[in-house]
Amino acid sequence: MRTGAAAGRTGYFHEALLYGSDDEFLAVAVPFLVGGAEAGEPTVVALGERTAGLVRAELPAGADVAFLGGGDTYARPAAAIRTYRELLARLTAGGAGQVRIIGELQRVHMGSTWDWWARYEAAINRAFDDWPLWSMCAYDTRVASPAVVGEVLRTHPFVACPDGSHRPSPAFVEPAAYLAHPPDATPDPLERTAPAVSITDPTAAQARAAAAAVAGPLLGGPDADGLVIAVSELVTNAHRHGAPPVRLDVWAAADRVVATVRDGGAGPADPYAGLLPAGDGTGTGGLGLWIAFQSCNHVALRREPGAFTVRLTAGNACLPD
Amino acid sequence: MGVSGVVDGPVADHVCWSYDEPGTFDAFAEGFLADGVAAGHQVWCVAPAGAVLAGRLRERFPAEIRRGAVRVVDPAATYVPAAGPHEQVRLYADATDAALAAGYGGLRVAADVTAMLHGPEQVAAFARYEHHADRLVRARPFSAVCGYDRRALGAAAVERIACLHTASNVAGLPFRLSASAPGGGAAELAGEVDAAGRELFADALELADLRPTGGELVLDAAGLRFADHRALLLLDAYARERAAVLVLRGAAGATAHVAALLGLAAVRVEGAR
Repeated sequence: MRTGAAAGRTGYFHEALLYGSDDEFLAVAVPFLVGGAEAGEPTVVALGERTAGLVRAELPAGADVAFLGGGDTYARPAAAIRTYRELLARLTAGGAGQVRIIGELQRVHMGSTWDWWARYEAAINRAFDDWPLWSMCAYDTRVASPAVVGEVLRTHPFVACPDGSHRPSPAFVEPAAYLAHPPDATPDPLERTAPAVSITDPTAAQARAAAAAVAGPLLGGPDADGLVIAVSELVTNAHRHGAPPVRLDVWAAADRVVATVRDGGAGPADPYAGLLPAGDGTGTGGLGLWIAFQSCNHVALRREPGAFTVRLTAGNACLPD
Repeated sequence: MGVSGVVDGPVADHVCWSYDEPGTFDAFAEGFLADGVAAGHQVWCVAPAGAVLAGRLRERFPAEIRRGAVRVVDPAATYVPAAGPHEQVRLYADATDAALAAGYGGLRVAADVTAMLHGPEQVAAFARYEHHADRLVRARPFSAVCGYDRRALGAAAVERIACLHTASNVAGLPFRLSASAPGGGAAELAGEVDAAGRELFADALELADLRPTGGELVLDAAGLRFADHRALLLLDAYARERAAVLVLRGAAGATAHVAALLGLAAVRVEGAR
């Protein structure tokens, strides 16, 4: 049985918590968490350090609330979805009638990588709907721009208000429709410069070698490995599902390596592509883009007439405003 | 005891030599056998008596031919079409023992086997044997070069066989599934496995028919530069069929990352680098 504002509902009850002050934040967050703990529902906090501290100071001693590191949880959207789905499966397998989670993206998520977090907010309406989850996504309106707040209202079906009410978001758009026309990714100025490497119709092995040659010396370690994995999967996809010609371009800057894989096709029809695995990988595929999303620090999909481009960023994906 | 240059592999003691010009095999095999003679091994040239290579050896090593250190052996006497891979390898294991007992340091063989292979089934049967021969090479003082005429067999058939050798001269071979060094795992996997080499990889796994030990099937993967997610799914299915957990020992960190994303129950990456 579910308690609180989600009582009587099935699946995912996805709320935005937009606050303009710490008091407004606590007025919603604390009753939400205390209510969950008192009802014996698994209750989870995935906030940044500052807001987690505010909450911790207000919770009654001994309240059964789990704190996750917000920074780790929200490293990459597809990985956050995978991690939360595993958590939800585990908690509900243990008999939980409802799970409560409050999470918060940080200022760093609302810059040049905001587009994939906006897609995340839309996609989780479906990705978490298999479980009785009530979550609040907190956004500090002193930090989030009006444009970000606009996307939050389009991706969250409900809004939790500081007066204790829970209201439908009038701007909400069904996730598949939203994801068919998501916000544009921030252009990377590197793309306007001459690439370090440009190969037409590369094999996956040639693409890996090119990506490794650029990213290896510059970034090394998991960042370079991740780019190599992603480039390999995307070139394979482009040859398999896209249309010729397939082109790989790689750019290098001091703090990042950017690669684009472009083909002449229309790109995947699945609006959730990249954020959710589209299959088990044994049939028509669907795992390549999802793996790329979990191997790079930003992935952007771009559709133009006669071309589909995936842009991968390894290293620092947070461009200055 | 290895040979330098031309071949790609950790030890050049079991070489797949693919050729378009028979002369290149004869030249390589002559050098390979001559190295064996110099090292005190018994050497066998498995070829018809009238073969060019046999003639050269008779010219070059008349004394060794007389005392049996160099032998020209009829292919019909060494390769028995009906024999399974184990029986076929047993023949060479016994011959290695006999060479050791006669005071040689080991046995070294050169054989052009093209004429024995007619059609994909015989190629597959021979490839199975080659995997077991590869194990013998790693375990005993036995070494061999196997010649394959690509014009007769086709490039695809040669690749099927070549990827089961520790060394080959086949250009562009994406990976190698060969015997592990003594004390190692069930086999050694090196190179890169992606969509382009997937069918070849699936075929190699079936041909090698690796057997788990104590519920684990360990692949020495320090030389595995890349495996895409489909390769890992294939290994997972392969391990499940054998009711085992497949361990990729020493694989790259990237392989561990993809395996973790896939949440494979039957694949474990150990000691990622």
